Amino acid sequence: MSSFALFAVVLVYLALLFFVAHLAEKRKSKRWINNPYIYALSLAVYCTAWTYYGSIGVAATSGLNYLPIYIGPIMIIPAWIYINTRIVRISRVNKISSLADFISLRYGNSRSFSAIITIVCLLAIVPYIGLQIKAISETFHLVTETSMSSNILTDNATFVVVLIALFSSYYGTRYVDASEKRLGIISAIALESFLKLFFIIILGIFVIYFVFDGFSDIYEKASKFKDFKEKNTFNGIEGAMNWMVLCMISATAICILPRQFHTAIIENRQEKHIKTAIWFFPLYLLIFTIFIFPIAWGGRLIFDGQKVNPEFYSILIPQHFDNTLITVFVFLGGLSSCISMIIISAITLSIMLSNNLIIPYGLLGKFKSDNEVQNTRNITNIRKFSIFALIIMAFVFYKYFILKTSLDSVGLISFVVIAQLAPSFFGAIFWRRGSYKGAVSGLLAGLAICYFGLIIPQYYFSYNQEFKGVIREMYDVFTFFNIPFLSRIPQIFFWSIFTNTALFTIISVSVKGNYRERNFAELYVDIDKYIQNHENAFIWRGTAYISDIKNILERFLGKNKTEQALRIFNLKYNIDSSTETADSRFIKFSENLLAGRIGTASAKILIEGVTKEDKISLKEVLNILEESKENIILNKKLTEQSEELQKLSNDLRMANESLIIKDRQKDDFLDSVAHELRTPITAIRSAGEILADDDDIPTDIKQEFLSNIITESDRLSEIINDILYLDKLEHGEIALNIKENNILETYKKALNPLLHLIQQKNIHLSEVNLLNQTVFEYDESRMIQLFQNILGNALKFTDDQGTIQTKLAEKADQLIITIFNTGQHIPEEDLEMIFDKFYQSKNQNILKPTGSGLGLAISKKIVQAHSGVIKAENSGLGVTFTISIPYSITKNEVEQNQ
Amino acid sequence: MKKRHEQKLIILSIGLMMAFSIPISLLFNSEKNVFGYPMILIYLFVVWMISIIISFIIVKRYDE
Repeated sequence: MSSFALFAVVLVYLALLFFVAHLAEKRKSKRWINNPYIYALSLAVYCTAWTYYGSIGVAATSGLNYLPIYIGPIMIIPAWIYINTRIVRISRVNKISSLADFISLRYGNSRSFSAIITIVCLLAIVPYIGLQIKAISETFHLVTETSMSSNILTDNATFVVVLIALFSSYYGTRYVDASEKRLGIISAIALESFLKLFFIIILGIFVIYFVFDGFSDIYEKASKFKDFKEKNTFNGIEGAMNWMVLCMISATAICILPRQFHTAIIENRQEKHIKTAIWFFPLYLLIFTIFIFPIAWGGRLIFDGQKVNPEFYSILIPQHFDNTLITVFVFLGGLSSCISMIIISAITLSIMLSNNLIIPYGLLGKFKSDNEVQNTRNITNIRKFSIFALIIMAFVFYKYFILKTSLDSVGLISFVVIAQLAPSFFGAIFWRRGSYKGAVSGLLAGLAICYFGLIIPQYYFSYNQEFKGVIREMYDVFTFFNIPFLSRIPQIFFWSIFTNTALFTIISVSVKGNYRERNFAELYVDIDKYIQNHENAFIWRGTAYISDIKNILERFLGKNKTEQALRIFNLKYNIDSSTETADSRFIKFSENLLAGRIGTASAKILIEGVTKEDKISLKEVLNILEESKENIILNKKLTEQSEELQKLSNDLRMANESLIIKDRQKDDFLDSVAHELRTPITAIRSAGEILADDDDIPTDIKQEFLSNIITESDRLSEIINDILYLDKLEHGEIALNIKENNILETYKKALNPLLHLIQQKNIHLSEVNLLNQTVFEYDESRMIQLFQNILGNALKFTDDQGTIQTKLAEKADQLIITIFNTGQHIPEEDLEMIFDKFYQSKNQNILKPTGSGLGLAISKKIVQAHSGVIKAENSGLGVTFTISIPYSITKNEVEQNQ
Repeated sequence: MKKRHEQKLIILSIGLMMAFSIPISLLFNSEKNVFGYPMILIYLFVVWMISIIISFIIVKRYDE
């Protein structure tokens, strides 16, 4: 394929990436933001050219050793549910924008530590980026079958690299706040991750089914190689040991590599996306690795005896069979893995360079006097410049240092260098006592070992076959530490991590900690407790004025945004906007606002410049933290208690209200009782008076008066009996005797005493029976009373020659009794009230009442005791009473109703 | 996700470290073939696959 055509393909491909990034950035739709697969796929930035080409080389030349860089991650990925969730929370509340911020903030927000971490990352990652450029360049020349040009300006790879630099600097620095999510870039990375997997699947299928006859064919043919068995087993316990150490190196790398930290933590849009990544990412790696084995051994079979670089089997195989399409696909897949790694690494390193090295050590003074527009422009320019500088550095590195070495060894070395951050990184989340001094000395010692053990020999061997002269003597001193059963990289990893961890732990426990780092240690380790009000967990004492801090904020955020942020702060903590002095919460809040733009360490330095902090001892800090922790627990308890109290007081208020109503009812009741009692007593008294005063009353009149006295006395006792009975019913003192009874018989029994009256008034009485069964559960004597009360009431209001009709029916598990009588309507507004006590006495002035006026009230109580409902309505020429009683009344219900 | 279910995943992680470390991984380091393929390769990939299935089930079932 000609250079020009391939270059055009690359351009189209890059344009597609620009387009996706542009689309995602512009739309910012919920579907893109909430998509967990974009997050999970973006993590696959882990698979670089090393995976794409390097692993195949390793599989073909040294067998199982290609697996640790995938097995290592999958061992630790399930634990992300704990580790990464916490790191994401810590980073969110502290506005952390890079690995350097994350570690250095924990160790007292130290400027020097964050600078050291930045340098470590540069040391480890720049050669790694160089490696990607090397892969792009070499595969480009391989596909076009041209030789590499020694002139940089005429080399096509140079142009590709420049384009990538442009892309990253444009989309990577769109936000001056580095802790913002870059949806555009991440969507482009996710697409690339998908494509590189897709292309390797195509190649895998091509090799397995078109070049060979299925997987077993490759396997059978390959197993004839003399070294096949040896390559597909561990080389004894030594091999397994090396293998394990490599797994551990990769397990730490997947958490700490700056590009992994960036995609997994900084670009995490929702915590729950981690859950999807936990199963999706290992699956992605599994699919990727499954195809490495057939491609590697297929390549060895095809190119047996020829001198070709096994790292490029994936391109050489389709090329060997003249399949240009698949060759270009594979090239694009490799290009994807390189580009995504370069972009993310360059962005995150540029953030570290600007926020942790250039700004805190050189430009803070300048920023203090500039305005917001200038500052924003300067910060973005620094990052853009850093991205270009990094990529150029990597390019130089590739041109002059790593031309001769393999993809695999450069990758592993950078993993080992990055792993030096592991003790302080994991110590930050799990160990409160870890101190700045311990972390820095451990890190520096580990780095020194890596430098002399790995980096110098690596590049020295690029030019010389073996150590000579002074260097040889120097290295001879250390032969004592040689571990015979580990190869060089695992050996150096072991010694460096061993020394690093030992220094970190020993120095941490033997030196008294600084109060600020202990403060952050508590915040990091107990993030779950402080997640809601992390600003409270920041301990600061001294004098500070809001106006001074506001002045600083305005230089970076602008006037409007500062005002807005202040309003939010005041609202959150319920602070009066006229307050002049700033408290610890405000200090932390302001540092957070600046942290994304200039890094945590610089933010602290800027705020320190306008405030005066008093010294606090470590002991005080611990006490305050202990208190605040207790306070949080206490607060929780208090809230619970106050909620309980609230509920209780509500109940009390309701009880009180109902008591007041009951009291009024009682008064009304007493009034009515007095009134009711007075009528018969007045009658008795006047009859008695007449009889006493006048002896000459004729006997028949005397007889009438006496019988009046007797009737009225009867009425009096009837009222009193009813009152007592109602009272008992109301207080549940009368137990219901619920049994199975025949409703028709009960009705007959109730009707008998009334028949005489009915005939007297010449009333037509009829019954309608619609029942399927006649046996129901109820208290018979109460039911008789109920019938008599309702019928009696009906009799009272039915005119002569009127009609009373009783209907018995069933509906939805209920016994329905309706009693209709012709006669006067009840006023609509009184329909509800007729069941109140003494209703008639108040509202009836036409007829002198017969009965106590408690009949309907008693009826209602009886129905309620049977869990039923009674209601009255005007219908046609009269009034209908409807009683519904459920079929079976359990004892419990009865008790409840009483 | 409840703490208890989080711990299931952490135990899975520890279990994987055990499964891939020396005494256990060496058990499968024989020249014997299983289903026609080297035992160690089958072992590594099967453990890998099972771990994906377990984490998938835990994540889906206890997702809140």
